[in-house]
Formats: sequence, structure tokens, C-alpha cells
Amino acid sequence: MKTLFQSVLKLATLSLLLIAGFSVSARAQSARLQLANLDYLAGKASQTVDVNIDEKLLHLTASFFGNEPDEKEIKALINGLKGIYVKSFEFEHEGEYSAADVEAIRTQLKSSAWTKIVGIVSKKEGDVEVYLMSDNNGISGLAVLSIEPKELTVVNIIGPVDIAKLATLEDQFGIPDLGIERPAKIKSKN
Amino acid sequence: MKKSLTITVLLLIIALALNLSSAASAAGGGDDFGAVVKQIEQFYHVKHQSIPLLARASMKAATTAARIKGGEYKRLAEAGSVRVVFFENQDFNSRGGIVGFKASLTTAVGQTWSPLIQTLSATEEEQTYIFIRNAGEKFNVLVVTIERHDAVVVQVNLKPATLAMLLRDPNDMGKAITDDATKDDDR
Repeated sequence: MKTLFQSVLKLATLSLLLIAGFSVSARAQSARLQLANLDYLAGKASQTVDVNIDEKLLHLTASFFGNEPDEKEIKALINGLKGIYVKSFEFEHEGEYSAADVEAIRTQLKSSAWTKIVGIVSKKEGDVEVYLMSDNNGISGLAVLSIEPKELTVVNIIGPVDIAKLATLEDQFGIPDLGIERPAKIKSKN
Repeated sequence: MKKSLTITVLLLIIALALNLSSAASAAGGGDDFGAVVKQIEQFYHVKHQSIPLLARASMKAATTAARIKGGEYKRLAEAGSVRVVFFENQDFNSRGGIVGFKASLTTAVGQTWSPLIQTLSATEEEQTYIFIRNAGEKFNVLVVTIERHDAVVVQVNLKPATLAMLLRDPNDMGKAITDDATKDDDR
């Protein structure tokens, strides 16, 4: 009787651990970045833009695109996407945001699911870092950090985005002009 | 003389009635639009005006809607769906509390609305908030625009095609909807 009770207890514990593990894993696998830590910067910035376009709105927009070549290209780009989220801050002076603000975002991108893409070149001054999240089905998310002395921008696209066509989405759906030039060859670095 | 006095009194009564009815619908009513107006009034210690015709006359000429459309001007909002409240010549100074105001506005608007885009300029005290809500075959869009001395709160119904068109450039969306809703019909 005691053995049976112990076995049931062990199984229950194991099940609980598995459920907890799956839950943590599911959360860790989400390509949506937590950007709330940046919200306080709106009080210092000369210009703040915060865009949240979810899957439903993206699909709605895609359904009204026409058959012109440029519209077809954008439609194909956004069709499978699940969300576009942008936070952008412009400051009057340098040093208005801290390294810790950026590091809080980079920490999320250090998980094994994210890969930093090297070889992305921007015409703008400062650094542009591009990260891709992949799963068994391919690319599941993208993050762009644009770090300039007086400007900080985070673009987070959820879904299978085509990195080679990222520049096509600039100036669309609230995504700012990041000056990204189409990479000749994409390399990744963990 | 007596006739003109009667007309004047009648006009005054009508104006007062319109003013009271608009104020009641904006401040009370328990709706999200009214809650947003109330939140602005409480935070900035301002009062909205309910004389839309006078306010409309002072609005800048609007061309954004036409530009987005790339051609002839066309109404964005569905007929009869527009609600507007103006705040004119008042002091919108957040005294460094613009982030707190943003949070309180998001709370006031309620959970049925999703924040679509928010643009803030703490230094210039300029803010635009666009919230969106699915309403069956159409969408409710709530736009709050605050500048240093003026503010406008607009709620409209948009057809999906109109919303899709505006979503391509969400940065201009607030201005396009506000301009559209505050324009005279005879344009």
C-alpha cells in the first residue's frame, strides 16, 4: 500500500515538474520581447513612438492589399506574421538612456532560441543589431535594436519574417526607417 | 423688438441644452469615451468645451486624409458615428508626469480597447493615443490628441477597408481621423 502511495506521489511530482517545465519553455519560446522597462524613457524623450499591431490587424491589412508588385511583396511579407511591436525614443541630448536599458533587452535575446545576425549594415550612425528566433518550423520572430547616441529603437516582429526583405517593411506599419541595407549574405552568430 | 428678444432667448436655451447634453454624455454616461474625457479633465485640471461648431471653425485645414488616399477627399468615419470633445486654450502641462498620464489613460479607456499607437513628446507636451476595438463588422477607433494648449478626443467607426488603409501608416492615422471627424461636411 505504501509502495503504491509512493509511486503515485512520485508520478504526481514528475507530472507537476513536466507541466512546470513545459510552461516555462512555452514562455521562453515566445518571440515577444518584454519592453515595459523602457516605458519610463518617454518622460525624457523628445519623441516617443509605441506601436502595437497584433495578428488580427495585420491579417486585416493584408487582405486589402492589391496585386501591384510592391503591394504583393508586402502582403506576402506580413501574411504569416503574428504581430509588429515598435518602441522608439529620440532624445535631445546624449546619455539620456542607460546601458542597463539596452542590456535588459539584450538579456532576453541571449536565450538559445535567438541568434544574432551579423553582416547587417545600416546607413544610419550607431549600432544596429538584428536577432532571429527559430523553431522547428523555421523563423518565428525577429528583433532589431537600433542604438544611437540620441536615439533608441526596438522593433519586434512575431512570426516568419523574411530577413532579406526586412528593408521592405521600413516606413510601413510604424516600423521606422532603420537604414538597413539588404545583406549580401546572411551569417549568424550565437 | 419683442420677436427678436424671443428668438435670442430661444437660441440661448437651445445652446444651453446642447451644452448640458454634450457635457453629460462626455463626463458621465459610464462609457469609455466619457471616462477618457474625465481622465483628461482630472489630470490636467481642464474642462472640455461643448461648442463644436465654434471649435470646428478654428481647426486647421486638413489634408492628411486626402493625402493618404492619394486622390480625392473621402470621409473616413462612418456617417453618424463621430463623437468629438474639444479642449481649447487651456494649459496641458503634465509637469513631468506624462508617463503617469499615459498609464492612467490606458486604465481609463478599459480593457476592451487595444492600444494601437502612442506618440509622445515630453518636451513639447504633445501626445497622440489611438485605441482600437472590434465592433462586429466594423472597428471603433478612439483618438486622443493633446497639445500644449488644446486637445481633442474623437471616437469613430471605421470600415475594415478604411482601417487597413490607415494601418499602413499608423503614425499619420491619428491626425487623419481627427481631421476627418472635425471637418465641416460641406468640403
